[in-house]
Amino acid sequence: MFNTKKTFVVAAVATLFAGSASAMSGSSDGAAGDKIDGKYAANYAEIIREADGKYLDKAVIEAILGKDAAHGRDGLEGKLDPANPYSFEVDDSIDGGNHGNAQCKVPAAFVEVHDSVNANFYNDGDFVARGFGTPISEASMAKWNITVDGDGKGLPDPSVGMTVEEGAKVYVQFCGMCHGEFGEGAKGYLPLAVEENLVTSDFYAPAPMKAVGNYWPYATTLFDYIRRTMPFWTPNAPHIGDAGYMGMTGYILQSNYVPMDDEGTELEDDTFFNSEVLMKMNKYMKNQGNFFCDHRPVIHNERCMTNCPDTQVGDGKGDIHNYRQARKLPDGTPQYNVPQRMHEDPPGVGHAGM
Amino acid sequence: MTDQNVEKVAVQTEESRSQSRRTFLKGSAAVAGGVLFTKAASAADGAGYDAKKAVAPYAGKKEITDVLQDGAARKSLGFGVRKYPYGMPSPFEKEVQRRTLEWLTPDSMASITMTPLQSLHGIITPNGLHFERFHGGVPTINPDDHRLVIHGLVERPLIFTMDDLKRFPSVSRIHFVECPANGAMEWKGVQLNSVQWTHGMMSCVEYTGVRLSDLLKEAGIKPEGKWIIPEGADAAGLTRSIPLEIAMDDCFVAYAQNGEALRREQGYPIRLVVPGCEANMWVKYLRRIQVHDVPAQHREETSKYTELMPDGTAQRFSWYMEPNSVITYPSPDFKMQGPGKYYIRGLAWSGRGKVAHVDVSFDGGKNWKEAHFTSPVLDKAWTRFEVEWDWDGSEAFLMSRVTDETGYVQPPMPQMRSLEGTNNVYHRTAMVTWRVHAWEDGKNGGMIENVQY
Repeated sequence: MFNTKKTFVVAAVATLFAGSASAMSGSSDGAAGDKIDGKYAANYAEIIREADGKYLDKAVIEAILGKDAAHGRDGLEGKLDPANPYSFEVDDSIDGGNHGNAQCKVPAAFVEVHDSVNANFYNDGDFVARGFGTPISEASMAKWNITVDGDGKGLPDPSVGMTVEEGAKVYVQFCGMCHGEFGEGAKGYLPLAVEENLVTSDFYAPAPMKAVGNYWPYATTLFDYIRRTMPFWTPNAPHIGDAGYMGMTGYILQSNYVPMDDEGTELEDDTFFNSEVLMKMNKYMKNQGNFFCDHRPVIHNERCMTNCPDTQVGDGKGDIHNYRQARKLPDGTPQYNVPQRMHEDPPGVGHAGM
Repeated sequence: MTDQNVEKVAVQTEESRSQSRRTFLKGSAAVAGGVLFTKAASAADGAGYDAKKAVAPYAGKKEITDVLQDGAARKSLGFGVRKYPYGMPSPFEKEVQRRTLEWLTPDSMASITMTPLQSLHGIITPNGLHFERFHGGVPTINPDDHRLVIHGLVERPLIFTMDDLKRFPSVSRIHFVECPANGAMEWKGVQLNSVQWTHGMMSCVEYTGVRLSDLLKEAGIKPEGKWIIPEGADAAGLTRSIPLEIAMDDCFVAYAQNGEALRREQGYPIRLVVPGCEANMWVKYLRRIQVHDVPAQHREETSKYTELMPDGTAQRFSWYMEPNSVITYPSPDFKMQGPGKYYIRGLAWSGRGKVAHVDVSFDGGKNWKEAHFTSPVLDKAWTRFEVEWDWDGSEAFLMSRVTDETGYVQPPMPQMRSLEGTNNVYHRTAMVTWRVHAWEDGKNGGMIENVQY
């Protein structure tokens, strides 16, 4: 990375601090003084290169985001700001689509990735096609192109569908034996409809169950996924067809009480469920506002070698004997995941399946 | 739960543990032997090397010395060439296997196995021990019938045969591949005493294939094409949305793994390689790459592979695997052989680049000693570290901490838990702790235990 010029990071960053401090007190013409939205060092790439590419080093992060760069969840607000060079968020995350097809990006501060992409693609003026492979028409891909995206592109024509009641029959025939007649789960397979709170109050309590209604951000995903992979033993079954898959989707959304307008209108059994109704409901998925782009690294520690602070030692308070152990079962102490091992709960690692 | 049930689980757990023990006894005898001698060499009186003392503990033990006469291998011929046209490990290594925990998944078609990291050396995972993760079982695909299509927002949609792909310039690189759920069972506490269970959802092999940027440029990306949606040809038809920035960085379409064709379990005939990123993005049985303007918001990037935070929000589009490390020897699969000198070994890796430093603590994180590397240090690959330790026989808490070339320092578990809660499922990349029980004249059996702060 960056031709291994052995820059002494701490010294380099200290200089940069001095630079930005002086720039802040007046002149706005120096590169070091410019800030993105008045908050972040605009010359972040320069700072990172000076520090030998250590863009996740604590000192480098503070040089770019400021001394107050928070190290925990409190610092998330900044990371959700697309102008933050460390943010995965995209400016136009609401793209004007049906309900905001959220996007994320590789953060600007990952300069090495962007350098590589420029060399391989954007600035690659020497590329000459080799002519390998056979050109085909987009139309010939119709059979293979089964993708439905978050905007609903790829959904079947609105004439394709069935009533929710008919959909329920298809569901019971092909899905109920594993997911339960009402989406409650069966035989260890995932429940599709549960009303569990996703907020954690006790870190050691069983994890909340994540299902379509309380977790999934998009309704389009449901149609795409079940047509793509279900029923598990005979995926993408022609005897079910797009109409059958549409019906199942409608029934699962109804089981999850997903509304389709501001008044909270829910699907009636005799509603003809098609791509238009699906796209209405796609705007009202209950959990869709609760997702955000990967915010890591939130943690940026110092590399401490001796006599490290208590926060970094043992239980986080300096006690190295305050630990948890596995398998105390013969003594009667509970073991984690015992209900899974006993087939009492769905399989998984403290969540709903893999 | 009834007492009988508790008892049954206890038996299951014990069986799983003793299976691991056997792995150690049979599979790693050579390693153990090495340790036995170094132990003897640094006798407690500190007088330095004494040949007599070094041998003394075994002088009366026939099982050590009675092989010093010619055994069967010297008295008869071995088998000839081509007995095994495709060679297999010695039968004495038969306990070194991929293993699964049957309670993790409802069936074996959508399941996972773990690589026996405790039995591996160096940085390459043998193909037969590469961890497996399927969402719809393993298809057996005839490469003559397999195609890769690049279409969508491209100038020239193209269809490639496997021969077409091999005509392109090739690239061979060693990378780790890690399921983001690696270590998921340990979010709420420790579960099982083996590094196979705690870190085995990953492997590291040499891949050979075609640069994805070459293929995408061949088709010509339209300016509005910002994402690729790779898709598998298996029953799961697995898809993920990958931004063009990652696709054009260092991805490639691999047809070979450790010098031979990919195994079916790893995507034969072709798979996507997305170095440093979640293994879920490394789509196997790759049949289609759709260039698109927006992400697809498919199941594997919304319902799954998103991380639930304590406040009920969830993190999405998690791509890069954070730097991580683990001590593989000694680890809970092994037993300490008494006080003396040990060479702590382990693996470190980073999804964002090369490993820069690995430090090992013997006192639960208070003080650290820098390890040295005994393998090449490669980009987004396992790096093998080693550090010398004089064990005085008292209780110790072993931890390893990686710092990668980006300057990120691996955090301890309490810090990660306080920020991310315990319902994340994915990306549990904080340090783990091996508790070495006090020796006390062997009373504790040299036990090494997985504990969590």
